[in-house]
Amino acid sequence: MGIDVVLDKCTGCGLCVKACPFAAVVVKDKKAEIDARCTLCGACADACKFEAIIIQRPEQTTEDLSGYKGVWTFVELHGEGIRKVSLELLGKSSDIADELGEKVGAVLLGRDTARHCDGLAAHGADVIYLAEHENLEDYYTQTYSAILCGLISNHRPSIVLFPATHLGRDLAPRVAATLGLGLTADCTGLSITEGMLLQSRPAFGGNIMADIICPGARPQMATVRPNVMKAREPDTGRKAEIVTVPVDIDLKGLDVVIKDVVSTVTKGVKSLEEVDLIVSGGRGMGNSENFAILEELADILGGGVGASRAAVDAGWRPRSDQVGQTGKTVSPRLYIACGISGKIQHQVGMKSSDTIVAINKDPEAPIFEIADYGIVGDLFEIVPALNEEFKRTLHKGK
Amino acid sequence: MVDYSFTEEQDLFRESLKEFCAREIAPRTELLERSKEMPEEIVKALANFELLGMTVDPEYGGLGGDAVTAGIAAEELAMANPNCAVPVFYLVMNSWSHVLNKYGTEDAKQEILTKSTKGEHFVGIASTESDMGSDLGSMKTKIRPEGDKYVVNGEKMYISGIGEAQKYGGGHVTLARMSEDLGTRGMNLFFLPLKDTPGITPTFIDELGREGISFGGFNIENVEIPKHYLIGEENKGFYIIHEGYELARGLIGLVCVGAATKALQNGIAYIKERKAFGRPIGKYEGIQFKLAEHHVRIQALRELSYKALWTYDQEAKGKASRFDVSMSIAMAKSVASQWAFDAINDVMQWQGAFGYTMECEDQKALRGVRSFTLAEGTVEIMKLIIARELLGKEFLAYR
Amino acid sequence: MRIIVCVKQVPDTTEVRIDPETNTLIREGVESILNPYDQFAVEEAVRIRDGVGEGRITVLSMGPDQARSALIKCLALGADDAVLLSDRAFAGADTWATSYTLAKAIKKLGDFNIIFCGQQAIDGDTAQVGPEVAQHLGISQVTYVEKAEVEGRKINIQKQTEEGYQILEAKMPVLLAGMPPTSFEPGYPPMSGILKAKKKPFEIWNAGDLGGDASRYGLDGSFTQVIKTYSPPPRGKGVIIEGDAPTAAKKLVEALVKDHVVSGGD
Repeated sequence: MGIDVVLDKCTGCGLCVKACPFAAVVVKDKKAEIDARCTLCGACADACKFEAIIIQRPEQTTEDLSGYKGVWTFVELHGEGIRKVSLELLGKSSDIADELGEKVGAVLLGRDTARHCDGLAAHGADVIYLAEHENLEDYYTQTYSAILCGLISNHRPSIVLFPATHLGRDLAPRVAATLGLGLTADCTGLSITEGMLLQSRPAFGGNIMADIICPGARPQMATVRPNVMKAREPDTGRKAEIVTVPVDIDLKGLDVVIKDVVSTVTKGVKSLEEVDLIVSGGRGMGNSENFAILEELADILGGGVGASRAAVDAGWRPRSDQVGQTGKTVSPRLYIACGISGKIQHQVGMKSSDTIVAINKDPEAPIFEIADYGIVGDLFEIVPALNEEFKRTLHKGK
Repeated sequence: MVDYSFTEEQDLFRESLKEFCAREIAPRTELLERSKEMPEEIVKALANFELLGMTVDPEYGGLGGDAVTAGIAAEELAMANPNCAVPVFYLVMNSWSHVLNKYGTEDAKQEILTKSTKGEHFVGIASTESDMGSDLGSMKTKIRPEGDKYVVNGEKMYISGIGEAQKYGGGHVTLARMSEDLGTRGMNLFFLPLKDTPGITPTFIDELGREGISFGGFNIENVEIPKHYLIGEENKGFYIIHEGYELARGLIGLVCVGAATKALQNGIAYIKERKAFGRPIGKYEGIQFKLAEHHVRIQALRELSYKALWTYDQEAKGKASRFDVSMSIAMAKSVASQWAFDAINDVMQWQGAFGYTMECEDQKALRGVRSFTLAEGTVEIMKLIIARELLGKEFLAYR
Repeated sequence: MRIIVCVKQVPDTTEVRIDPETNTLIREGVESILNPYDQFAVEEAVRIRDGVGEGRITVLSMGPDQARSALIKCLALGADDAVLLSDRAFAGADTWATSYTLAKAIKKLGDFNIIFCGQQAIDGDTAQVGPEVAQHLGISQVTYVEKAEVEGRKINIQKQTEEGYQILEAKMPVLLAGMPPTSFEPGYPPMSGILKAKKKPFEIWNAGDLGGDASRYGLDGSFTQVIKTYSPPPRGKGVIIEGDAPTAAKKLVEALVKDHVVSGGD
């Protein structure tokens, strides 16, 4: 088991050395040698033209997995509604369930949450596992994990998807470790291969993609990035079976207690993960007041306003607006970067957006390297002009 | 063969240094360039990062480190501050604190080094005079014992750090003669405080470059200094001053490496982008030949300089001879300034007319490294040292 | 007070570039660094220890021999002792196997009040190991921790959320996953710290030292497998829109409408 270089076949050409993202391969005396940095990702084996690198993966002979059925989504709430990403996951779950011939499950925890069932059904849920209790109003790892583990053990789904939100990334690994399951983080692609879930995700700050499977453990679990999957058009005629989950949770035994919740997002404004169109401002904005023209543009387009680290550090925008390596990763339909130079730390947070527009007076700004459309010029002239033009075009006939 | 690698600690130190330079030095370029003396923020930052007493004993606040490690900091500081003001401040303070640490009296060390390592005192070198630079034997400044003191008379000129000594306190490691006869016997090395010292009248001169560190001279009129400021034995000053010069010269080699390396990086970025006749000028052979030649020279200078500092350290351990040290140090210093100057000069040439403007960053480095053909020993003297070692003392040039 | 900080040495992924000709990763010249989120965890641990006035910080890492330099840096930043888990048997581990291995080592290290780790590593980007370690140890977890302050037998925590932050109070022992705020500037140890670091206790443990079930380590113990890695499809070359502000604006809107990026009105 492991990785071996077939010395007879190895010609020392070095293609494997170049392919390895972890610097784990060197060529010594004309033969490849692999050291302890190897993570068995397989990039070298793929690159080798002589089939000189063999990776033996362990046989995962385990119990019969065919008894696990059901493609579940964990539903995350936000304020009065459902977080958009959960609806996207229901859409994807529906696609997967159709292919596998299984049912779509939605797991809904919280207080007074029954009112969301119709919406979940309309978006694709066949079965809703409803755990309603006043003690579930706030998310606590301990309480939510206990319920989820119980549900999974009892009902044996084949796949469980979580949104890659703060909550999802806190909850999913806890559940995976409790039940002994494989978990893939931050997926941007999901499909079925040989009856298994093929999970595609970025790594290395988005510089490489990895395809991952979980052959032996069920359910297969993944957290999924917002704004990547598509929600289905709501079909109000759809009906879902509701399974009420008995909840016996006492908050007194909690080791962690919430003392205060502070929101830095303007009231009523959606957080960046909820919107599919973002207008973002950087150092070039100059001050906090100037963001008004970006807010106007975002308003016209029905999107949100983001900021680069420079603008947040300068105190012009709150931290919750920050896009980038130390901020949020977003992948909206349209990302308009204004006065943002586009250093790699910012790019990491937005380069998987569908369409990128860059406006900057520096033609050498790195943002132009990843932009689909770029305008070199003064954003204080261009953005107002855009606002006029969008108003004219989008509100024709209004 | 020799193991040319740095130690694990030196590699980690370099990593930290790069971070330090990016945060504390590079952003203060503008402040530095409009200052008459090294700004307090920079002095404090250097002191807090333990850079002002690299080889000074820990009991006086120093790091107790070696010359190679001091060289690493010289190289990194020059990369972050190509106009060379900060590297010069650094190398002068370290070279002459080193001498004070090794040969000074306990009282003097307690008084001066405990402060200089914290950035509260300046320690410089004053041996050059208006009429005398290389020919130390014909020095005019005199020192004579008088009761429980020494009295000094004379003048020093072309000295760095006079403003810093006045502002922060401290002074200069100074050379003066005790005997009436000319010649190198009878020279004395001592610490001369500058701040509020009666009899010292400073003057300031604008250098060609190195904005941010002061430069000038001072008259010395019946200045009294306490006996414990004598460094080493009476009349033995000529022999120990060389240890300070040698460390300074080795560090200068690396300052030139740092400044030239940064300029070449700027040059490489430029020639990749700038187009002429339909292609980036970096594609033209003529440019590539120059780039390769300068790279080789600067890398060679890097090896020469680190080897020289390593040899300096080896002598302290009894594993290298005087000959080895003076030879390797002189070799590095004999070419450092010219090779760095040539590299920077060509980087400016690649930039055409823009390279001839004050807007071009590289012109600062050019003016900065130009000082090293003469600072802490001229290149001509370096070549005489090399020749002397190869030919023998009978062939000493000016005898 | 005993704090154990789990750290990882990673390639500096902000320096990694894609070769535009072959669309593969250019890894030459990319340094290995201490994962920045883990450096934040170490510095916070040091701050907590200094605030309490006493305590011992152990840094722990699972990695190849080269990971030593990351641990030395942690010692130079103020940690007291280090353990490197190094063994070919650990290779190929997914987050489950990694967390199992780390938890085994932590159990061997003894009692603790706080486990601190970075929220995620900049190569894997999973953010899973922290919570999984907490589960293996049977302790509670708080993720996205921006600030932590020990007060008697409790910890006051500021936890980042999508909308802002929460203030939490946790009992110890607890696992914290650190999320540096934008104001965080990673420290760089001075030479004296580096020299002291070399004298601090440093142990290397292999699978035999940890004991436990050998089939739970490395690739054998992993539930997930990477079957392929590839470069993301490159973004096509973009278009620079010329003209003065009104002209450029018009052209851009036309292009976006044409591409159905925005709807063209009713």
